[in-house]
Amino acid sequence: MARKRKAARKSTGARKATKKKGSVKATARRAASIAANSKRTVRARVAAAAEAPLALCESDKDLQAMLNVLRDRSEPVKVRLAALQSIQAASFSTVAFESCRGDYIAALRSIADDPDPELRQRVLGLLAREKDGYAQKKLLDGLKDPAKALVPPEKALQLLSYDVHGQAYSAAREIVRRPPSEIARREALRLLAADATAAPLFEKLLRDKKEQRDIRQIAASALQALDPDKMQKHAREILLDKADYADIKATSLTALAQFGDEEMIGKDKALMRSVDRLSTGKTPAKYKQSASRFLSKFGQ
Amino acid sequence: MRGNEAASLQSESEFGAFVDRLAADPSRCAHLTELLREDHAVYRERGAAEIVRMRGWVLLAIARAGVSEASLIFLLEELDAGVDPYLVAAAARALRSYPRPTDALAPFVMRALNNIRYRDLPVSFEVYGDYARSTDGTSAVRELLATLVWLGPLARAVIPELLVLRAQAARSRKLHEDIDRTVQAIHGADEAPGPGTHSCCEMTPSAPTEETSWPIGQRRSMKPVETVMLEDQEGELIPFKDFFNEQPTIVVFFYTRCDNPMKCSLTVTKLARVQHLLDAQGFADRINTAAITYDPAFDRPARLRVYGQDRGVRMDARHRMLRTPDDHAALCNHFQLGVNFVESLVNRHRIELFILDAAGSIAVCFERLHWNEHEVVRRAIQLLREPRCSADPHSQSASTCSSSTIPGRANSPVSPVRRSR
Amino acid sequence: MNVDLQINNSASPAAKFVSWSPAPCRIRITDPSGASSPTVNLQISGISSTSGGAVVFRSGATGSFSNSLTIAVPIDGTSVPFFAAGRFGRPSVSNGDVKIEARLGTKLVGSAHLMVRIRKNANTLTAAERDRFVSAFAQLNNQGLGRFADFRSMHTNVSSPQAHGAPGFLPWHRAYLLDLERELQAIDPSVALPYWRFDRPAPNIFNRDFFGVSDSLGTVQFSATNPLQFWKTDGVQGINRRPFFATSVAPPGLRTETQTLALGTQYAAFRTMEGNPHGTAHTSFGGSISSIGTAAKDPLFFLLHCNVDRLWAKWQKRNARFDAAIGASFDNSGGNPIGHNLPDTMWPWNGITGGQRPPTAPGGTLAPSPCVGAPGLQPRVRDMLDYQGAIGAGSRLGFDYDDVQI
Repeated sequence: MARKRKAARKSTGARKATKKKGSVKATARRAASIAANSKRTVRARVAAAAEAPLALCESDKDLQAMLNVLRDRSEPVKVRLAALQSIQAASFSTVAFESCRGDYIAALRSIADDPDPELRQRVLGLLAREKDGYAQKKLLDGLKDPAKALVPPEKALQLLSYDVHGQAYSAAREIVRRPPSEIARREALRLLAADATAAPLFEKLLRDKKEQRDIRQIAASALQALDPDKMQKHAREILLDKADYADIKATSLTALAQFGDEEMIGKDKALMRSVDRLSTGKTPAKYKQSASRFLSKFGQ
Repeated sequence: MRGNEAASLQSESEFGAFVDRLAADPSRCAHLTELLREDHAVYRERGAAEIVRMRGWVLLAIARAGVSEASLIFLLEELDAGVDPYLVAAAARALRSYPRPTDALAPFVMRALNNIRYRDLPVSFEVYGDYARSTDGTSAVRELLATLVWLGPLARAVIPELLVLRAQAARSRKLHEDIDRTVQAIHGADEAPGPGTHSCCEMTPSAPTEETSWPIGQRRSMKPVETVMLEDQEGELIPFKDFFNEQPTIVVFFYTRCDNPMKCSLTVTKLARVQHLLDAQGFADRINTAAITYDPAFDRPARLRVYGQDRGVRMDARHRMLRTPDDHAALCNHFQLGVNFVESLVNRHRIELFILDAAGSIAVCFERLHWNEHEVVRRAIQLLREPRCSADPHSQSASTCSSSTIPGRANSPVSPVRRSR
Repeated sequence: MNVDLQINNSASPAAKFVSWSPAPCRIRITDPSGASSPTVNLQISGISSTSGGAVVFRSGATGSFSNSLTIAVPIDGTSVPFFAAGRFGRPSVSNGDVKIEARLGTKLVGSAHLMVRIRKNANTLTAAERDRFVSAFAQLNNQGLGRFADFRSMHTNVSSPQAHGAPGFLPWHRAYLLDLERELQAIDPSVALPYWRFDRPAPNIFNRDFFGVSDSLGTVQFSATNPLQFWKTDGVQGINRRPFFATSVAPPGLRTETQTLALGTQYAAFRTMEGNPHGTAHTSFGGSISSIGTAAKDPLFFLLHCNVDRLWAKWQKRNARFDAAIGASFDNSGGNPIGHNLPDTMWPWNGITGGQRPPTAPGGTLAPSPCVGAPGLQPRVRDMLDYQGAIGAGSRLGFDYDDVQI
């Protein structure tokens, strides 16, 4: 009898599960329908799109409707962006999204040259993270010929950095040599941080007091990866250099604290004296705290 | 092959046209296979995506011209370890032009299906370098299923796996239907597919294999690279001749930035399994292992160590992760590595494993297809048991060793021995 | 007289961590001098520092907790079990900020410092908690050379079917976070994974001293003292993250916690939260976190998923869904892919590769804990449900959330 009751409870439970999931599905389908309905307000459609991901995985009809909204250049951009986000959220459910993926990628490629810059940027970003050859080619073509550029050079470099096997290094070096903007130069340097032959460049940038703080910080991080021994040597020299700036000293200190040879650091009296000066001198409180922590970690 | 002709091509469109000309000329279509070698000069300084487009176009040309025994291995390689839908689709299509299919091909197709199904994309074969922007055409999964249909009864052994795949694709009605049609077609076919009518190349009936071996006296000695300096995961420097000496060594090539999980990460993981097998059989101190990076500028000792550790690789005096700080080109030439570069970065490579004998000569090579750990260990132990040559072990000419002393091996001419699967 | 106190039935300092779930402890007399009978009554109580954690006690596996406990302990050295737990609402802020004392009358005969280690809202961490967490995380990454590389490799396009779009989504990510958290604790045991409560503003997370500030391009900037400035994945420097919302407010379009918990009382309905809020949280940004294959490159991913897990934990508590034997606790209705059924072991910890599983299994087995034995080195899906040990004390996983009571 107890077994019968248990079985009955299980079957009731299963029915409840089906019913509740069913109502969740129904809500999602309604939301997808609203999002795709051009007669509704932009606000309502954007809100509905956020509720639609489940429907997109389960219903080919709903997915196609949402893709149509995405592709349709006459639709309001806000609605298209919401549709994109909705499909993208659905794509996280890999198993459920399996049959949708081809349509999704094809649709993204078809709007990579969309007139709206924000949509273009997001679409190219999504494709670049998939290491899509189509997107990579578009981005590289744009770096070689600005007339073909779909996004600014700094964005193209950032997106190309998702795949180290691209051919972006030569374009990045050219931009470092002749930067169209500071931000483009910065992104070019970030990309070159994966180039094993670029260590000498980063050494030079790190020690150049005329360079911007964020460039020197990129250089520090790049050199730590490409040639850790050199970075540790330069970090020490920067800390000993009374004429260098507090922020790069703080970065150097962080590099030593995180990655340095503890035994060697502990024995380095000159270094400890410099860090002690940092902890007591006229520097921002945060840097002083960092210096104090360093001193207590390494034995003083 | 007119290597210079291909290497001189600058643009992709020139390359595409060149490939089309080769495919259309029955006297030259055999050269298409040469274009599939990773180390071909035409691929130098090209990005990975560009190489995918180029190789895919060559595969499609081979599909039109006919698949030879020499080119079959490249198709199977793509199915075995490929992760790019365009290349996998092209290889699947090309396979349908192979004139002598056997049931050995179906597992490759099935493996590719399992690898690619969640990463499938629509592909376009219409024009060189085209990318599909709709799903009206074909895709890697469609081409693979079509190839299973083409195999017909030769694919019956993979039906259970297909049904598992179908069961797991619960939400993908389209895939369900495609698989159902494929299974029906396989069941319904009475005969195996017949020979093609437009192959331009000589065929031999044996199935392709990934292994090549050379008898004593015919092996490439280590003389050209014996002074090349290697650096291991601890930063210790050791000349080539000092490590690859006195006992056989199993050598794999890899690099830490490889983004194909079917290649380098798996290769090094399998090397760790090889080490376990050697240890279990008591040979860990008598057979060395080495993993050498294609990317020595980036894969410095700390990176080598971590990569090996993360994959369970044993590292000690006889088992090392290595890089060539200086003379990387010499090593590539010596092993005739299947790799190419864009600047210092690898743009394409094949799976390759070598077994060097106790004199450091290249005795066995497994290339392109996934090698079996047990088979590699077996071959290494065989080398351990072979007699050392009485002549100068560094000599490249035929030695006084008799290859008939090796059990089961008849005297063979200069050409290497290919083992049947 | 002296006594020895063991937390989590271990003498190791690494085991002196408790959460809200009762931890088995032991007390024994190591030096009985001064005792005049075969057993003595010892009083156990918790002493908290000013803003530190607080602990409560009970003598058996069931029953209510109290601030102190009297235990009869034999003087022959036999240990006596009892249970200690963090008092709900009083987590520690640093290691050892709460102490258990044992007294014989008024005389102190033994003590042990411990920590009530709890997963907290990242937006309300103290500066010290934040800095310890960030430092441990940066060390785990070790500019691309650390163990974090395995965690990054566990969450790619290749492996995503093991963990997404099917019922195992929540258990798999629970195991993933637990594995990472234990690795962080091996670096600094005072660290617990915090969560990003994404349906509320979290300006303290998106600043240069924590998870960084994104510029207009989406490049994340850190302060010069933040070790995350050295973050590297796939050989590439830095983090790309472009919020589509002002980080002083919550992202729009996300289901709130209330709405998420109201999705349904059955797991099949609740797990639709994978789309929204989970998927919507991911896609509230441009950059790595917004695509499944690159999401784990951004350390924010782990805080996002910690909140996803917290929502599941809260739902479980609210609906009594810890028992895998109850159909409503999981969606085991059949047809689930491998790795998404209750009895299935989970990749990569099971080391199974090839076929329906990815070609390699990075990271090896799941990190063990000095505090608890569960879920084991190769956990099954079912092992991740009873994280508080509500059904079986041995199932306790050793973590709790600041706002999810037992």
